[in-house]
Amino acid sequence: MDVLDLIDAVQSVADGVLFGATYALLGIGFTLVFGVMHKINLSYAAASIGAAYASLLIVAGIKAPAILVFLASAAAGGVIGGLVYLVGFKFIPLANPLATLMSTVGLLLLIDEIIVHTTAGVPLNYPALFSDVIVSAGPFNLRGDLMFVFALSCACMVVLLLLLYRTRLGLATRAVSQQPTASQLCGISITRVNVVTFVITGVVGGIAGAMTGAAIGMLSPLLSLPLTVKGLIVTVIGGLGSIPGAIIAGLVVGGLENAFQFFRGVSERDLYIMLLLFAFLIFRPGGMFAMPVGRD
Amino acid sequence: MDFYLGLMQIIGVHTLLGLSAYCVLLTGQVSLAQAGFFAIGAYVAGMLTVLAQWPLVPALGASAVVAGVMACAVGFPALRVKGLMLVVATIAFGEAVRLFFFNFTYQVQAGNLKLGPHGAEGFRQIRYFPEHGWTTLDVMLFIWAVVALVMAGVWWLDRSRAGAVLRAVGEDELAAQSAGINITAVKVSAMTIGGVIAGIGGGIFAHYTTHIEHLQFGVVLATFAIAYPILGGLSNVFGTLLAVVFVQGFLIEGLRFMGDWRNLLFGGLIVLAMNVRPRGLLDAGAVLALKRLIVPRKDGDGA
Amino acid sequence: MATVLDLQGLTKHFGGVRAVDGIDLAVARGEIVGLIGPNGSGKSTIVNLICGLLPPTAGRIIFNGADISRLPPHARVTLGIARTFQNIRLFGQLTVWQNLWVAQNSGEQRNQNFLHRWFGGSNGAWEEINRTLEFFDLAHKRDELAANLAFGEQRRLEFARALAAKPVLLLLDEPAAGMNAEEVDQLDSRIRKLRQDGITVLLIEHHVELVMSVADRVAVLNFGQKIAEGTPAFVQADPAVREAYLGTAAVA
Repeated sequence: MDVLDLIDAVQSVADGVLFGATYALLGIGFTLVFGVMHKINLSYAAASIGAAYASLLIVAGIKAPAILVFLASAAAGGVIGGLVYLVGFKFIPLANPLATLMSTVGLLLLIDEIIVHTTAGVPLNYPALFSDVIVSAGPFNLRGDLMFVFALSCACMVVLLLLLYRTRLGLATRAVSQQPTASQLCGISITRVNVVTFVITGVVGGIAGAMTGAAIGMLSPLLSLPLTVKGLIVTVIGGLGSIPGAIIAGLVVGGLENAFQFFRGVSERDLYIMLLLFAFLIFRPGGMFAMPVGRD
Repeated sequence: MDFYLGLMQIIGVHTLLGLSAYCVLLTGQVSLAQAGFFAIGAYVAGMLTVLAQWPLVPALGASAVVAGVMACAVGFPALRVKGLMLVVATIAFGEAVRLFFFNFTYQVQAGNLKLGPHGAEGFRQIRYFPEHGWTTLDVMLFIWAVVALVMAGVWWLDRSRAGAVLRAVGEDELAAQSAGINITAVKVSAMTIGGVIAGIGGGIFAHYTTHIEHLQFGVVLATFAIAYPILGGLSNVFGTLLAVVFVQGFLIEGLRFMGDWRNLLFGGLIVLAMNVRPRGLLDAGAVLALKRLIVPRKDGDGA
Repeated sequence: MATVLDLQGLTKHFGGVRAVDGIDLAVARGEIVGLIGPNGSGKSTIVNLICGLLPPTAGRIIFNGADISRLPPHARVTLGIARTFQNIRLFGQLTVWQNLWVAQNSGEQRNQNFLHRWFGGSNGAWEEINRTLEFFDLAHKRDELAANLAFGEQRRLEFARALAAKPVLLLLDEPAAGMNAEEVDQLDSRIRKLRQDGITVLLIEHHVELVMSVADRVAVLNFGQKIAEGTPAFVQADPAVREAYLGTAAVA
């Protein structure tokens, strides 16, 4: 393999890592809900794409700048997140994980169908920022839009981490994730924490959906299942319940995905991602940063 | 009439899919891999009847064995992965199988036709039934004979000590171990049995649809597989059957008049069902109540 | 007298915490040995180690002369060790009858062939389980789901299930917790009946009166170490024991 190929490979991986920031956001959403409620919300990626679609509707009338569309997506994501909690989790007994799993599956199907109905299944264009900007760094070209996606995603992660570790709300969330009963005895409202968790992860999801749309250039209902699978893989590799893990795993999976694609082509690419997951499950089932196990 | 026979065929095959998930779910393992075993069964049986001219029943037997072996192989690493992580691992397994068949091509020249699986295009011309003069009615009866056999087998398993042991493992692994149960053997066995049943179902599926391709065996099918036993309730095989009839018969076909909106309704109904009856339609309480209605309490009745 | 259980230098560390620190304990056949100590002294950890739910950091567990330290839990049950759980761990969605059925490990059962034992119906197991149910006064609840039983009934079922495994050595983890005086009396007589049936018992308890009444020997733990061992009267008078439970001032 000569130098040119090497440069192309590195370029490819770099692009992948930048795009991987969206995977990281999805992973954060999955992992945060798991951390607080010990349940997986399978409808999360679909809801994120749904929020991005919703943002298109919201600004359909006005010729809005892209940044406004992204913000609309975040807001829509938050609303959808709250609704998902209400309909899929609030009324189902906690001791019944199978039921919540199925309810989130139902929500996944529901959201997908709503998208297909309102758009007749046709992919829609999604605005991007800095799409005509190319930053050259030596032999490498960094796409402006991808860099923006990366930067915004990182900003989102920072805000989230600040929220979790520097606010009372974040403290309450972490308390509930470790000891729900004791938290209630300390006066923390579990319902409130759960709702807030879902709304916040919904906002993160909305941003993830918007960024995915911005990076690809368009939205399609066909995105939700592959994104769900990728998001779950990122969550598991990073360690269920660990946000730093989800972030690192997201970037790694993004980069590796492009590397696999570069060396082995698109059709085999996902197969290798699966093998990576299996390797983790066999050798490090806790993921990179496993959540500390409780005393029970 | 053909329409209803076709519907019965679908219900039959999906019941097998549901039963395969039921066996695994009893031990507390939420497996989204059943669609993968189903796919393996479909391709194996199809290839044997089309490319190697095998008769149907031995081909189904072979697909059961291959799927069972794969399931056993999956069963062991599955032990290392707890709870919801197993969901992800099995989703990934199912996807890996689908991707494998997406890339899999093995064709044989037969006259001026090329037969066999062809990557993304799938596996066409699985024409065993038409070539051997089976009518739609024949196929349906065959499917339901198999379903009846499998259901009887699982029912009998459920009532035997093995069934109670499976459920004990699903309830509380620590307590089960302390009661002398080898949970490794139990969980892997359950996964293997599930694989065998799914393999048979897949083999039959390949033959009545005559054309299979990777897209049919994705995450959605996998979620249908576990949806049936969860919706139907895990205390009884009939719950799974009921759920299949409800979903395929009522929701998907019966609401056909609603056009495209029925898919919307489907998702919504699942959410509603889980909120209203989290333990499924036929949960343990419902079954006991039904029992007491139908069968008067006899003293000396064992189970 | 034959030694049923021999703990040699048994040690378990959790990170920096020495939950069990070099315990030596021998239990002879037919004995009822009490294991007492303040909370956190390592009693439940020892039970989990003996049963195989936790791997030891160091030391050995000898059962009937064989080193079982590496055996998986279910194998130890087959050899003849059974236990109850401090927080009851019944199979809630199984009936009372089924709870005993899955734990059943009798000799006559072991003589049946594989198919019969696993896939047979309930007939053969019937008599034995019925007898156990009678003994624990649970026969009338035979078809009830374990989760629907009253707390006292659940405790009895937990005990019954451990016996269904036909153990040589029975580990009772705080069986008297939450019981009133009458129930403790019943427990006392049931434990004595075990000795009559030739079962060796290791009793972990806080209920001092029960232990003093029923145990032949008592071992006292504190901070993972054995601080005293002997007859109940001897142990009660030991200053180290009183210090562990009551503090130094009480002894002085």
